Formats: sequence, structure tokens, C-alpha cells
Amino acid sequence: MTITGTSEKAAYQALKASDWHLEGAFDAFYSQPQPKSYTDARRLEDLYNRYKDAYADMIMADGITLLCSDILVDHQDIVMLVLSWHMKAATMCEFSKQEFIGGLQSLGVDSIEKLREKIPFMRSELKDDQKFREIYNFAFGWAKEKGQKSLALDTAIGMWQLLFAEKHWPLVDHWCQFLQARHNKAISRDTWSQLLEFAKTVDPQLSNYDVDGAWPYLIDEFVEYLIENGIIQKGQLSDWTQKH
Amino acid sequence: MNSSNQKKRNFQIEAFKHKVVVDPKYADKTWKILEHAITEIYNHNASGLSFEELYRNAYNMVLHKFGEKLYSGLVGTMTLHLQEMAKTIEAAQGNLFLEELNRKWNDHNKALQMIRDILMYMDRTFIPSNRKTPVHELGLNLWRDNVIHSSKIQTRLLDTLLELIQKERTGEIINRGLMRNIIKMLMDLGSSVYQEDFEKHFLEVSADFYRAESQDFIECCDCGDYLKKAERRLNEEIERVSLYLDSKSETKITNVVEKEMIASHMLRLVHMDNSGLVNMLIDDKYEDLGRMYNLFRRVPNGLPTIRDVMTSHLRETGKQLVTDAEKLKDPVEFVQCLLNEKDKYDKIINLAFSNDKTFQNALNSSFEYFINLNPRSPEFISLFVDEKLRKGLKGVSEEDVETILDKVMMLFRYLQEKDVFEKYYKQHLAKRLLSGKTVSDDAERSLIVKLKTECGYQFTSKLEGMFTDMKTSQDTMQGFYAAYAAELGDSPTLVVQVLTTGSWPTQPSITCNLPAEMSALCEKFRSYYLGTHTGRRLSWQTNMGTADLKAIFGKGQKHELNVSTYQMCVLMLFNSADRLSYKEIEQATEIPSSDLRRCLQSLACVKGKNVLRKEPMSKDIGEEDAFFVNDKFTSKFYKVKIGTVVAQKESEPEKQETRQRVEEDRKPQIEAAIVRIMKSRRVLDHNNIIAEVTKQLQSRFLANPGEIKKRIESLIERDFLERDSSDRRLYRYLA
Repeated sequence: MTITGTSEKAAYQALKASDWHLEGAFDAFYSQPQPKSYTDARRLEDLYNRYKDAYADMIMADGITLLCSDILVDHQDIVMLVLSWHMKAATMCEFSKQEFIGGLQSLGVDSIEKLREKIPFMRSELKDDQKFREIYNFAFGWAKEKGQKSLALDTAIGMWQLLFAEKHWPLVDHWCQFLQARHNKAISRDTWSQLLEFAKTVDPQLSNYDVDGAWPYLIDEFVEYLIENGIIQKGQLSDWTQKH
Repeated sequence: MNSSNQKKRNFQIEAFKHKVVVDPKYADKTWKILEHAITEIYNHNASGLSFEELYRNAYNMVLHKFGEKLYSGLVGTMTLHLQEMAKTIEAAQGNLFLEELNRKWNDHNKALQMIRDILMYMDRTFIPSNRKTPVHELGLNLWRDNVIHSSKIQTRLLDTLLELIQKERTGEIINRGLMRNIIKMLMDLGSSVYQEDFEKHFLEVSADFYRAESQDFIECCDCGDYLKKAERRLNEEIERVSLYLDSKSETKITNVVEKEMIASHMLRLVHMDNSGLVNMLIDDKYEDLGRMYNLFRRVPNGLPTIRDVMTSHLRETGKQLVTDAEKLKDPVEFVQCLLNEKDKYDKIINLAFSNDKTFQNALNSSFEYFINLNPRSPEFISLFVDEKLRKGLKGVSEEDVETILDKVMMLFRYLQEKDVFEKYYKQHLAKRLLSGKTVSDDAERSLIVKLKTECGYQFTSKLEGMFTDMKTSQDTMQGFYAAYAAELGDSPTLVVQVLTTGSWPTQPSITCNLPAEMSALCEKFRSYYLGTHTGRRLSWQTNMGTADLKAIFGKGQKHELNVSTYQMCVLMLFNSADRLSYKEIEQATEIPSSDLRRCLQSLACVKGKNVLRKEPMSKDIGEEDAFFVNDKFTSKFYKVKIGTVVAQKESEPEKQETRQRVEEDRKPQIEAAIVRIMKSRRVLDHNNIIAEVTKQLQSRFLANPGEIKKRIESLIERDFLERDSSDRRLYRYLA
């Protein structure tokens, strides 16, 4: 109950269903659709006002810092990304009133305590493949500058390191080094989303990397870079040299 | 007896009451007569016989049902006679053996014919109805069995025949008529006899013979000689067959020779040191090559072997040619070498390889391969054409001009980067047109037409635009002088070419300070032109013009100097000053410094063209240098040409720049192709897009798959395309 933040009754049911095995109970619990709890509009309004910026009708950097300390989360913690995703926030470091209230509503919380209790759930969402992909792709639009089409390289690298700490990809550091050494330009949306596919489908030794696999050019260059620097053995990609 | 019975008595024919008995000895007697006749026939005593009587006897025998006796008698008698003949043949010594055999065979045939005639009734009635072998055939079979296959004759016959053939092969004369008869005999006995008793062994022995001989030859002959010998042997065997063997043996024996003499040694011959295929190609040995072609085409994989060796040699030489640093110094020489090489091989394929299409294709693919190894080939071919059109084709007949241009087109076709050629061609053509230095307008036009035929209208539309501008400018000048005739009487003569920006190679527009007389004149022209063409903008390209100056030097030497516009600006300054420093010249003319330095160098530092004098006399132009008119200038010519705007091989940085521009130009072309394809296909997978785009652009350049990918991504960025949500390799067109 402490971990899931749920009622005693629900906890009892979950444990019984899984034969009193704790792990199984957690799995079962988290895979259920969350019951839509009643949220108090007045309480949400108050909460918003607590964080709202002094000069604009939005929550800005200071408000977010306060929010983070209230829910005992570091502002660089990835759970903030998940929260932003629930809020469908347009851009990082600010929440509009609609985004903030809408997000909390969809989470079924209307107080700091309830939000705090929702944190483990939000973390767990990252373990779900489908949700992770959505969050990952959401991150691109959220992290980039308003009005820009592409994501600045430094920001992208930061995001990648954050995201791939959750979904472990052994090549993430090489990827970031490669970008800084060779690319030095912004990242396109296509490259961003294709990278996740690449990390998921191609194994770290690149033994199933298909050179005709319609991967973005940047990823092809990355593979070349890995071979050039001996990180990957050439023999594993026998077709590579012949096709390029 | 009843009276009724008497009335019913039928008429009956009864058989003889007593049998007609044929004399039992009748058959024997008749047979004896015939037997005797047969013997007489075989003893060459037929003249005393009565054909009619014998025929009748045989007839009667068959009629009276003694056909069997007659037939078996025939078999027996004939067999005996043949056995005797066999003995005689066996007894013959040495050379007489075949003659005796031949003689006896003729005898037998004659006898057989007579016998057959006598026994014709049996042949036609008894024999078919009793399924016996007809007389003639019987006679042949018995001959075969008793003579040819007799143990003492069979092997000896074969050995004798083979021995004779061997003798003939080693140069001896043999009795061919006799051979022919004997072989014909075997053929008459049936194809299986001919094959089993002769041909089979003949082929085996021949194979051994040629195997050994070819081994000897290959050790001691060079390739050309060997092939001559092989050809000779082949012809000999063909002749042998026509003279005394069954014509069906020709293919079989030629196959043997081809296999042993050619197929087994094919690779060794082709790769023979100092005399193999490569040497023949290098030395243009048409006869030897032709012989090799004719012989090798008879064996499996023969021609492909020649073709492959030729191809790899050609690729190797071609590769060396295009990477030879010496040759690369002179583009015209470079291209001429390529043309020479093409001519050489065209001739070889024509004279020695009977214009074989597969060889022509091999030649083409080899040229395509190595020409494109050198990325400067397009530039060099353009420079070659430039040289020809500028002076090389002077005085050449129209036909020959066409020939040379056609050859150039051939090389052009091999280029993968035709768009690079186009860029250079444009530059060079511009220079030719503007300096008025083309040998023949017709030749220029002819080449444009050829390019248009090859590459389509788009390729040449701008080039044609350049010609149009030149013509239009002439008309404009006429109009200008007609309008201003009165005012311009004393002014220098101005000739302007108005160039439409899109058609001509892009030039940065640099102006400089023209001498007063010229700038006034230019302004007049500008107002005249803009008066008739409102809405246009003119900018003077001072780096591309030329001028003719009349100069008088210190000792009164008069010369007409043909110079560039920049040079004119510099020289005119000396009309009002004796000494000018570099800085002063720079200030007065405002010519960009690198151009100015080159300009001054050409005026002061080149022997024979030094109309200016420089202090100090060094080759380089320093900031502090001073310039004077060279009063001591001499030249044997009245008209002196100083520095023209001639097309030259580009320097390294220029080359990089051109290459970059070409790459930039390709990007929109690739994108246009992608959009075109996707618009019609709607959905297409990655590999297919790459293939289609490459195919579409093939006639201009070889598209790089990596570049195509980048363009696709750019189009995704700009929302022209998207990836399919379930299959990431599929692209979708976004309307």
C-alpha cells in the first residue's frame, strides 16, 4: 500500500489474486487500468495557483522547482518527463494551466500527497514498451525550441542519456560521442524516432544490422564510425563494404 | 438304283486318280545346276551361263515349294566361296593385303548382283513371305561375317587402315583411292560396321596422336606458330574426310582435334609469355588473332576465354593510361590516347574478330570502367573538344570533322558523370564564343546537335541560348551604331556581347575602372540598350573582355596589341604617366589584386610580350614594384597578342569549386526524381526507390545511394514523404 498508494481493499484483492506473491501482485495491479478517481476542481485550481508564475498565467521555472521539491523529486529526474507527457505539455520548463490541470486530472490526483503517491506508478510506465515509445517520441517535440523543426544537439544528447538510462542501450555513449565528433548539427524528428527502433531491433554487436534497412543516413554513419574505431568488428557486417 | 437318284447326279471334278509325283530328285538336280552356276560366277566364268535358264530353274524351285532348299543352299554355297576368298586375302603379304581385299570385294559384289538377278523370283516372293533376309543384304552380311570379321582379317584390316592414316599424317603419300574403296565397303556393310570396325578406333587413335603432338608443339612453339599448326591439322582432317571417309565422321574427328589441340591447351596458349593473346593485341597481329578467334570459337568456352583476357588487359592498360601522371599534364594528349586506344581495338575487332558483338560489348564496358576511374575525364574531354574547335580542326574537311566529333561522342557516352562534362563544356564554349576563337560555327553546331540527340533537349537548351545571344548581340551592335553614327565618329570602336544570365556559366560580376573614353561609350550603350529593353539589368563583365590597342613605342615602333580588358585599363594609364607603382595602378583601376598581379605579370614578365618594364626585374609582383612602358619593346609581328582568355585545365581549388557546384546541382535533381516517382507510386519501399531514382538519373550522372537517402530524409523533414507506421522501410507520398 505504501508503494502503490492504493486502498487496503485493492491491495488485499491483488495479493489474493496472485496467491499472496508480492511480485505477482504488483504486476497484476499495475497492468490494470487505473480507476478514475474523483478529483476536486477547486483543489486543482488551488494547486495551480500555488505554482503559477507571478507575471504570466503559466507555471514557469520557479513554479516547477517548487513543484519538484514538493513531490520530493529532482527536477532532472525522468519522472518529470513522464509527468509532462501526461500533461501533454507543449514544451519543457513550462506548463499552461490547461496542461497542468488536465494532466493531474488524467492521473486522478488533486493534491501534492496524491501526486507523490503516483510517482512509482509513473516510473513503472517507463517499463512498458508501448508507453516508453510514446514518451520517447513525445520527448522530441517537448524538448525542442518553440518554432524550431529540429532538436538542438546538446539537448538531444541530454535527453538520450536520460531515456536510455531507463531502457538500457549499450551503445548510447558511443552514439553521443559520435554525434559530437562528427555531426554537430540539430537532430531531425525522423532520426530521433528511428534511433529508438534501431536500439530496439539491432543488437549491440550489430550482427543483424541490414545495410539496406532504410535507416537514416546518420545511423549508417554511426555504424561506419563504430567499425572505423574498432568498437564493432568488421567481420560481423560482411555486406557492408561491398554495398558502400 | 432309284430313278430319282439318277436325276440328281451332280457334275463333279475329281482329283487325279493317281498322284502327279514330282521327281524327288528334281529339287536336288535343279539346285545342283544353280550351285554350279554360282561357283562359275565366282570363278569369273559367267559368260558361259544362260541367264534365262538359271532364272527358270530358280523360279521352278520356288514354285514347287523348294524355296527353303534354294535359300539354304544359297547361304551354304556363298559361305563356302567367301571362306575361300578370305583365305586368299589372308595370304596376301604386306601392302597387297588391302588390294586383295578390295579386289575380292569387287568380285563378290559383281557375283552378288548376278546371283540376285537369277534369284529375283525368290527375292520377291519366298523371301518376304518367310521373312528371310533379301539376297543382296544376305550377300553383304555373309561377306561381313566370313571375311571382314574373320579372325585373321578383322584386326589386320583395322591396323592397316590406321597405319596408313598415320603415315599420311606424318607426311607420306598413300593410296587414297584404295582407302576410299575400302572405307566405302565398310559403309556399305552398314553404319554399325563402319563405326565399330573402323570409326570408333580411328577416333581413339587420332585422339592419342593429337594429344601427343599437341604436347610436343606446345613445348616448343610460340602461340602463333602453334595455332598455325593446329589450323593445318584441322584442315587436313577435313580434307581426309572428304577424300575417303564417311562425311558423318567430319564433326567427330574435328571435335577430336579441337579438344586435343585447342581446348586442352587453351589457357596455356592464351597466357603464353611473349607470344600469347596479350602480346598479339599489343602488336596488332591481326592474322594471328583472327586465327585464334576462328579456332577458339569451335570449342566450348573458347571465345569467352579470349574475351575475358582481352577485357582484363584492356582494363589494366586503360587504368594505367588514366592514372599516368605524365599524360594527365596534357588533357588533349590524354584524350587523344583514349581515342587511339579505341581505334586500335575497333580495328582488331573488325579485322580479327569478325565484328563479334560480344567483343564490342566487352570493349565498351572496359572503356566505361576505366574512363570513369579518373574523375577529371569529363573536364579533359571538354578541353579536347575545345582545342579542336579552337584550332585543331582548322582546314580539316567537313567529313573528317564529323568523324572526329563522332569519336568524341563515343567517349562522351562512356562518361558516368555527364553533368560534370556539361558544366565544363559550357565554360569552355563561353570562352570560345566570347573570344571569337572558334574554327567553325558549323562544327560547333554539329556537336550541339549530337549532344542533343544523345541527352535530350534539356542538356543543350542553354548551350543553344549562348549561340542565340551571340547572334542577337551582333544585331544589337548594328542597331547601336546606326542610331549613334554621328556621335561616335571619333570614339574607339565598341563591341558588346549581351549575355543572358541563365544560359552562360555563372561569373561573379566584378567591375573595374575603365578608361574615360571607354566608360563614356559604355554608358551610351547602356542607355541605348535599356531604352529598347526596359526592365532588364546590365552588368559589365570586365574580366571577360578583350581590347585592341594601337601603340607607339620609344623608337617609333608601331604595334597593335591584342589584350584583355584588364590589361587595357592598365596600359591606358600610361598615356598620362611615365611611372606607376603597383599601388597606384591598383587604386586607379580597382582590379582585384590576384587578377591584377596576373595581369601585370603577363604585361611585364613574359619574353616577347613585355610591353611594360618592371623594377625590380623579378618574376613576382611586389607591392612596391614600379612599372614603366618598355620603350625598347620589339616584336617581329605588327599584331601582338598578349594574354588571352584561353580555356585551361583547372587548378586544384578551381576543380574543388566546380565539383562542389556540380554536387549542389545534383541535389534538386535527385529530389525532383524522388518526388516524381513517389507521386506516381504513392507507396514504395526503400530499395526500390533507390533503384528507380538511380535509373532515372542514369543518363546524367551516377546517383550515390547515400545521397539519395539524405534527400529522402530531407523530404521527410519537409513533409513531402513519411515513413509507414508499421513498416519502417516503406515510404508514403504526402499529397
